[in-house]
Amino acid sequence: MFLYSLTLQRATGMVCAINGSFSGGKSQEIVVARGKILDLLRPDDNGKLQTLLSVEIFGVIRSLAQFRLTGAQKDYIVVGSDSGRVVILEYNKEKNYFDKIHQETFGKSGCRRIVPGQYLAIDPKGRAAMIGACEKQKLVYVLNRDTATRLTISSPLEAHKSHTITYSICGVDCGFDNPIFAAIELDYSEADQDPTGVAASEAQKHLTFYELDLGLNHVSRKWSDQVDNGANMLVTVPGGGDGPSGVLVCAENFVIYKNQGHPDVRAVIPRRADLPAERGVLIVSAAMHKQKSMFFFLLQTEYGDIFKVTLDHDNDRVKELKIKYFDTIPVTSSLCVLKSGFLFAASEFGNHALYQFQAIGDDPDVEASSATLMETEEGFQPVFFQPRKLKNLVRIDQVESLMPIMDMKVINLFEEETPQIFSLCGRGPRSTLRILRPGLAISEMAVSQLPGVPSAVWTVKKNVNDEFDAYIVVSFANATLVLSIGETVEEVSDSGFLDTTPSLAVSLIGDDSLMQVHPSGIRHIREDGRINEWRTPGKRTIAKVGSNRLQVVIALNGGELIYFEVDMTGQLMEVEKHEMSGDVACLDIAPVPEGRQRSRFLAVGSYDNTIRILSLDPDDCMQILSLQSVSSPPESLLFLEVQASFGGEDGADHPANLFLNAGLQNGVLFRTVVDMVTGQVSDARSRFLGLRAPKLFSITVRGRRAMLCLSSRPWLGYIHQGHFLLTPLSYETLEYAASFSSDQCAEGVVAVAGDALRVFTIERLGETFNETAIPLRYTPRKFVVQPKRKSLIIIESDQGAFTAEEREASKKECFDAAGIGENGNAEQMENGGEDEENNDPLSDEQYGYPKAESERWVSCIRVLDPRTTQTTCLLELQDNEAAFSICTVNFHDKEYGTLLAVGTAKGLQYWPKRSFDAGYIHIYRFKEDGKVLELLHKTQVEGIPLALCQFQGRLLAGIGSVLRLYDLGKRRLLRKCENKLFPNTITSIHTYRDRIYVGDIQESFHYCKYRRDENQLYIFADDTVPRWLTAATHVDFDTMAGADKFGNLYFVRLPQDVSDEIEEDPTGGKIKWEQGKLNGAPNKVEEIIQFHVGDVVTCLQKASLIPGGGEGLVYGTVMGSVGALLPFTSRDDVDFFSHLEMHLRQEHPPLCGRDHMAYRSAYFPVKDVIDGDLCEQFPTLPVDMQRKIADELDRTPAEILKKLEEIRNKII
Amino acid sequence: MSVFGGDSWGREAQYRKRRVDDLIIEGIDGCGYKKLPNGKLVCLLCPHHPVLDTPLMLSMHVKGSRHRAAESEQKERELSRQYQINKRIALADSSSTAVSSTSSEVRCGSTKTPLIEQVHKAASEILAGESPQCSTMDKSPDVRSDICYYKKENQSIAKSNATEVVAAPEVAFQQQLDYKNRRERELKLISAGWKRDAHGRWFKDENVEFDSDEEDPNVYLGQ
Repeated sequence: MFLYSLTLQRATGMVCAINGSFSGGKSQEIVVARGKILDLLRPDDNGKLQTLLSVEIFGVIRSLAQFRLTGAQKDYIVVGSDSGRVVILEYNKEKNYFDKIHQETFGKSGCRRIVPGQYLAIDPKGRAAMIGACEKQKLVYVLNRDTATRLTISSPLEAHKSHTITYSICGVDCGFDNPIFAAIELDYSEADQDPTGVAASEAQKHLTFYELDLGLNHVSRKWSDQVDNGANMLVTVPGGGDGPSGVLVCAENFVIYKNQGHPDVRAVIPRRADLPAERGVLIVSAAMHKQKSMFFFLLQTEYGDIFKVTLDHDNDRVKELKIKYFDTIPVTSSLCVLKSGFLFAASEFGNHALYQFQAIGDDPDVEASSATLMETEEGFQPVFFQPRKLKNLVRIDQVESLMPIMDMKVINLFEEETPQIFSLCGRGPRSTLRILRPGLAISEMAVSQLPGVPSAVWTVKKNVNDEFDAYIVVSFANATLVLSIGETVEEVSDSGFLDTTPSLAVSLIGDDSLMQVHPSGIRHIREDGRINEWRTPGKRTIAKVGSNRLQVVIALNGGELIYFEVDMTGQLMEVEKHEMSGDVACLDIAPVPEGRQRSRFLAVGSYDNTIRILSLDPDDCMQILSLQSVSSPPESLLFLEVQASFGGEDGADHPANLFLNAGLQNGVLFRTVVDMVTGQVSDARSRFLGLRAPKLFSITVRGRRAMLCLSSRPWLGYIHQGHFLLTPLSYETLEYAASFSSDQCAEGVVAVAGDALRVFTIERLGETFNETAIPLRYTPRKFVVQPKRKSLIIIESDQGAFTAEEREASKKECFDAAGIGENGNAEQMENGGEDEENNDPLSDEQYGYPKAESERWVSCIRVLDPRTTQTTCLLELQDNEAAFSICTVNFHDKEYGTLLAVGTAKGLQYWPKRSFDAGYIHIYRFKEDGKVLELLHKTQVEGIPLALCQFQGRLLAGIGSVLRLYDLGKRRLLRKCENKLFPNTITSIHTYRDRIYVGDIQESFHYCKYRRDENQLYIFADDTVPRWLTAATHVDFDTMAGADKFGNLYFVRLPQDVSDEIEEDPTGGKIKWEQGKLNGAPNKVEEIIQFHVGDVVTCLQKASLIPGGGEGLVYGTVMGSVGALLPFTSRDDVDFFSHLEMHLRQEHPPLCGRDHMAYRSAYFPVKDVIDGDLCEQFPTLPVDMQRKIADELDRTPAEILKKLEEIRNKII
Repeated sequence: MSVFGGDSWGREAQYRKRRVDDLIIEGIDGCGYKKLPNGKLVCLLCPHHPVLDTPLMLSMHVKGSRHRAAESEQKERELSRQYQINKRIALADSSSTAVSSTSSEVRCGSTKTPLIEQVHKAASEILAGESPQCSTMDKSPDVRSDICYYKKENQSIAKSNATEVVAAPEVAFQQQLDYKNRRERELKLISAGWKRDAHGRWFKDENVEFDSDEEDPNVYLGQ
């Protein structure tokens, strides 16, 4: 088996983010690392974040930093990754890619504790960079400019110190003196030597300054001073005339200003009033904003509160450190303050947000200051505050994030054309159930009912130079309705259009006149109101029309073509007639090329399954240039011209191309390239779109021509970052459509469906999925589908939080105290704060749950109807119980039908050692048509049931290391059979026939068999590799697919002969008495597939995402990405793609210096998987490189692109 | 021009050859050889299964002394097997009509252990097909019922074998179904955690949990 791996939805979480001016000049951009992806974002004029560039680097980005050489206008990006190299990137605005300027190797690859890459610090003047490891190693690179003002980088200078753990590093701003770097370090050499543990308990963190002597070209430890042991982060304080220099040390509960030769200035971080006393406050992210006259810091705590920190200083002396409450937003991994007045918050979990500053916190608010710091006998006096609504910030955009995907299932619950992906995302109060559908999201602007059922719709401008459309023309069976577009859309009668007849086409012709084609003629409406009418000869009627701005071709019944042109005076003149052999099915004229008088090509589709391309040149008018036969009569034709592009904001290099698209009656979209000179067609591709013949319309998307195909669902064909993408829209079936542009909606679509007129816009181009989010209460753990009733049952649990009642009570108390009227109603609590725009002043989604002691758990079981997004039943577990596993089970010959089993743990604690009070299995029955759950009984078990599964009319449970079979009793579950021979903890159980596939938390899969005649469970095979299993799925009788927590995906298979032997063992004696091997089972499974995804896979499922497509494996990851592995069906494809992959590895090495092969083999050598993400980088290569690779493969670049498109279309 | 005349003598020659082959083969017993997919022939009677290239060679082989010896041996074996089958059918018939009490007594006498004794008794009764004689035996009722159950089962097996010749096919099918049901019920009991002791009685496995009001299979199966 060979698999093709493809990421369907790129990672949506963010690890770190930096901001700067990467394209130069005044523009402000944000560079974010999403694990293995580097993105460049920019807020546009409307305050929406746009992704300019997204590059998969095939490595792990651990840290990012930006720097600017003195006097330069542009920022560079430094990337610390797992490649053992430091990479400096520059964004190339013209060609839209990251240019690798330097790549310096310093150590081994991989994320190791002593290989630098974890921390990056930059000298604020851009003269040096320090790259540090978690332990021991730190390297300093000197950055400079050569005579041609190119960036140079020195060889590394070492600042190593062994037996030292580093917590944070940063550059110290000391003007143009020698660059200094600060680090929080802990020396563990003594603690390591001392067996009594005294030294370990007395270990002390230090703040150390490293000075780079630019004259001597070496690094020395300049100064070291004790800091709080809770210190975790350093923030640079401006210096060199702008400020006092030095650093802010963020420690537990305190922020301390430190500098060499300066006394510490310490201030306490204000605490939330409801925070338990034993919990500290840590700063998790920081941002500094500097203007000419002032600077301030924004520090965010682990609870989401942002504090503004200001320093009152007199030259180099800091007099006072003030910490003032600023606002509360969800916890971030990085904060970026943009010079344009935006705050970008890269959320730790859940959606990221872009805020605009309303104020910079000058109003009085709760403030802690170093001047008022009080020390009493119990320690420092804390300062309390109460979180409030956003005052200084206002959210203007958010970027969706699925991180982390906890569980996912692909199922067609809504009976749509393609299945939906149900995923449990997020954490705590920001967790959601997201329903992903392949396709682009649309936002509906208006829907209005029409007096009849329209057959077609057009929009026209009055003048070619107009920005917006003037009329919407709707044709009915025997009338035409004209609507004018203005402030409102209303019917007009003075437009000059004939309204007593249906229309066949309406368009702008010439520069400023309108044309209406109706069955009996052509009506030409001049700008001054004059109307010219051309009538069809005899009683013949017009059947089809094709037109562009200067040319019109009509087809009469019987197959006669008449060709008109707009002459110099703006008159429509008949030029040529041509008799076709039969009726014309459809026709289209190519758009007029820039700077030309006419287009050369007319495409005519006939019912004899052919498409002819005719010339419109005066020399060879109506000559057939080429002929293409197709599988079914064409229904609709469209020429799509792709302008030549040389990079730019949104594309790679490609020459101008003319594509002819044809919608065939069998539902296939057929696409060929038309030679711009000869009219010959080549490179035909076809794709099935739906059950109806696709109708094709030209619309505008992001200022470019795109194609809308209306089959049984609408599709959009457009160019995104150099790729032509054909993506479905998540919208209902449409009949006819036209582009729409008005001042409210610049790039929209107007369409008719049924008797309604709909105006909508297409959003978030380039995305594979659009999502519907349903908020949940706690961190979702797992869910099951009740296929009969089409409902989802979700278990949610959180540690260290209060139950809903307690929270509500405390909220009420808090409001009473604050004097706010009680308005947080119970309804809202139900869904964990549905809408933060509501009048609830403290939505949990925004502010997080009030924190409780860490041993307290809250948990609930929810029955949710995904159609109505309503929760029909929500059971909150009592008594500190938390749910961890769930399954539906049908016990044999028992009266209840389908029951629900939920495994729970009571009083679970992970620290200092994993412990719990009890484990239970709850059995619920469904009532009221599956909407409500009722507890049947609850059975105490001696471990935590982490895996449950139905098996032969009974319940299999993995309780700690015991696999046990339960039957349903009257008052409890009855233990019927067990096997205690599993090594650690059972986390997954799958069954097929009499086989049981058990996944152990750290020992991969165990294959078991249940023998009914002996009532025994036997383990007959296991894996030789100790895998830390995070997800598993059953592939076939002998094969399991799994993912481990190091980011690997693998398949194991029981060899065929062993499998046969086990199945043909009638007495069962062999299985019973066989000797184990390597302390395990007698047989071993073989690994057949191995692939390093580079992200922890949390859920796996065998599924097909397209109707009639082959089944593949779909997975979701912690970073919020969705990918698929598709088995190849032919050996040729395997050869082709493995060669393509090989060439790309050589010719196009990953951006951050990690070797592609080494990355995909990070833990185990990659086996039989081809990396589609690498193959899909082929179109981004320069044209000559593409040609070179294509030559090596004995193909053309177009063929390779076609192959890539084909295999992608097989998956989604 | 060929010696056979006509334009294409090749085909005719082939026909001729095939006819000759057919004639040669006709004389040989059909179940004594097999035609292999490659056109060769294998003799099935000789113990080492010699492969022969052409029918002519087969015909020569068949006349050989070794083949003849093998053939007669085969025939002998066939005869003795037929005899055995007849004997067994006859035995089964007679046992269903009349008990040879002597034989069962002899068997009882020859064995020492009570269990085997019981089993033999039961078996002989079953073979006799009479109404249960165990009621006369000096045993506790549940053991008896147990044996009765056992007996019924065996009876059905015996019958299903024996009645192939005599009984109507529906009845045989019914009985087989019965046996299947019974087997299924027994498996269900085993998987529910019941075990059999040496007397064939059901008892609860101490590692398995049961509902407090679960029925004892010894009781309800005995009826």
